[in-house]
Amino acid sequence: MGIFSKSTGGFREAKGDLILENVTKSFATFTAVDDLSLTVPRGSFFALLGPSGCGKTTTLRMVAGLEQPTAGRVKIGSTDLTGSRPYERPVNTVFQSYALFPHLTVRDNVAFGPKRRGVADAVAEANKTLELVQLSHLADRKPTQLSGGQQQRVAVARALVNHPEVLLLDEPLGALDLKLRREMQVELKRIQMEVGLTFVHVTHDQEEAMTMADTVAVMNLGKIEQMGAPEVLYDLPRTKFVANFLGQSNLLHGTVQGTDGDSVVIGSGDHKVKVRQARMATGEGGEAIFGVRPEKTRIHDTDPGPQLSGASIGPGTLLDVSFSGVATQYLVEIPGVGRWAVYEQNLDLDRIDNKPGDQVWISWNPGHAFGVRS
Amino acid sequence: MSALAHLGSTGGGAQAPGGAAPEPTKKGGFTAYLLLLPGVLWLLVFFVAPMVQLAAVSLQSQFPGYPGYYYRDVNFGSYLTAITEYLPHFGRSLLFAGAATLFAFVLAYPLAYAMAFKAGKWRGVMMICVIAPFFTSFILRTVAWRQILADEGPIASTLRFLHLLPGGHITETWVAVVAGLTYNFLPFMVLPIYASLERADPKIIEAGGDLYANGLTTFRRVTLPMSMPGVLAGTLLTFIPAAGDYVNAELLGSDTSTKMVGNVIESQFFKVLGGFPVAAALSFTLMAVILALVFLYVRRYGTEELL
Repeated sequence: MGIFSKSTGGFREAKGDLILENVTKSFATFTAVDDLSLTVPRGSFFALLGPSGCGKTTTLRMVAGLEQPTAGRVKIGSTDLTGSRPYERPVNTVFQSYALFPHLTVRDNVAFGPKRRGVADAVAEANKTLELVQLSHLADRKPTQLSGGQQQRVAVARALVNHPEVLLLDEPLGALDLKLRREMQVELKRIQMEVGLTFVHVTHDQEEAMTMADTVAVMNLGKIEQMGAPEVLYDLPRTKFVANFLGQSNLLHGTVQGTDGDSVVIGSGDHKVKVRQARMATGEGGEAIFGVRPEKTRIHDTDPGPQLSGASIGPGTLLDVSFSGVATQYLVEIPGVGRWAVYEQNLDLDRIDNKPGDQVWISWNPGHAFGVRS
Repeated sequence: MSALAHLGSTGGGAQAPGGAAPEPTKKGGFTAYLLLLPGVLWLLVFFVAPMVQLAAVSLQSQFPGYPGYYYRDVNFGSYLTAITEYLPHFGRSLLFAGAATLFAFVLAYPLAYAMAFKAGKWRGVMMICVIAPFFTSFILRTVAWRQILADEGPIASTLRFLHLLPGGHITETWVAVVAGLTYNFLPFMVLPIYASLERADPKIIEAGGDLYANGLTTFRRVTLPMSMPGVLAGTLLTFIPAAGDYVNAELLGSDTSTKMVGNVIESQFFKVLGGFPVAAALSFTLMAVILALVFLYVRRYGTEELL
């Protein structure tokens, strides 16, 4: 194919799951993605979650073809896409900054992809997709004449119109305000269900990832720390990073001191807490971190110890009480452990008579505790 | 300027899709006029007054029998002379300036593109290389080109040796004049194109590739259209002064076959007794022609941001 041939010349049809095999991407001074393997089932909504610099955007760009991996393969189904150019892949991206073409109207922006691929009724396709994102009435505007949320939907339409095998979303909601972001989360989820395409969504917003995705992969330092359904990840984090990044966790750094029935005992100073064997990510012995979610805990004025051995901690000093209507949040300083938070839903009309400075204890249902590697 | 106006309109555009500018507040009115005053005065003294004077001179009539003496009149005879006698010079001015603009564009675009996207840490060095010639007088640089392109110079001798120089000369031909114009106005083409490319979000160009356009198509459909404001500014900044230039034709061209309107104006003003009205009429005609061409050009290729 000469350079004047249609740009569809090298286009590769590919169907199936998105597969990354031992993908590594090294730049001059650091490794952004480190031997990452991943399978995203066809038609699923997959979120890559992590802090900035964790390699999630680099991973996305390698799927798009905007970066080439230093090692490893990128495949869709049985088609190996490694080394192919972005315009040869059945993959489209919704860029973080939207990257709409400023010189083209909304309609021409959306029709850009179909036109390049020689689709006969490119404009009709564009109109249809604009309808899907409810922007038909703005089709003749230039992108700069639209609000952030509208531009975002144009960017989604411009990618969707091509019916890609995989749609990549690079923090697409980052620039929107909170209310609009919630609306777009629902909207994107609706669109994904409607078109049934594989969506790979990169974000640093854990709530966004959990709300939208079927599967969340938490990334840190170029590796996937843990992957699974949002509920599973939240309920049973397997690393300290996941425990802290996905939601909030009350942690106790200690050592494994033995077992008690089907539970592991973790101790630190005078404190002893228990975690069920199945909910421990470490093996026998050594250092371990105990964790429990703030909303799974309750606050007490007196020591509940005798009844709840291994599922309570205290005494600690109450630092702060904040009442927010539906819930009350307590912040407790436990000597030798650190600061723990307690969220109690205000189910009853109990008067809240705890004040900062009071001595309190914290308890939880032992089934909610988890243990992770330190 | 256009970019600022454009930026200003984006904010309001979201709320008021009609693009209506917000009403200026009454309170700021007086201050606004006060701030405009120095600029308006400057324009009055250094632009409007000389233009009126030039127009008056172009319409003067000569005292019969007293060469070099005129009286106030409304006589369009000088315009007739300007157009009928110097039509070839107008043609050359537009042709040479047009050719120089085209060559400057062809040279400048890849350079600006390289500076904006490929230069990395060399960007600053390249920028200095583009601007550095300004530190020397452009008359001097043009004289230097006369030496470089001279018959005994390395370029002309080499071409002659290879039998690639039919006329035997480079200087004294239109080639040298157009080359001189191209060289002298190249930075005015490079800088606006560079500015518009540098401002473009590289993600937008990546989006072209992501949407099935190969490198060439992405350039034609995305990069080039996005840099049109810069291309437009660059071509105007090159064409307008090049069309009025006389230094290159004077120093690099021949005495007869490559004279441009600027050379005629210069000689009418300084060398011909009683040439003032014709020189003024030539100036006005050239201005009118350029304005008309620029108007048509901007209408055709201009983006909303420039109009």
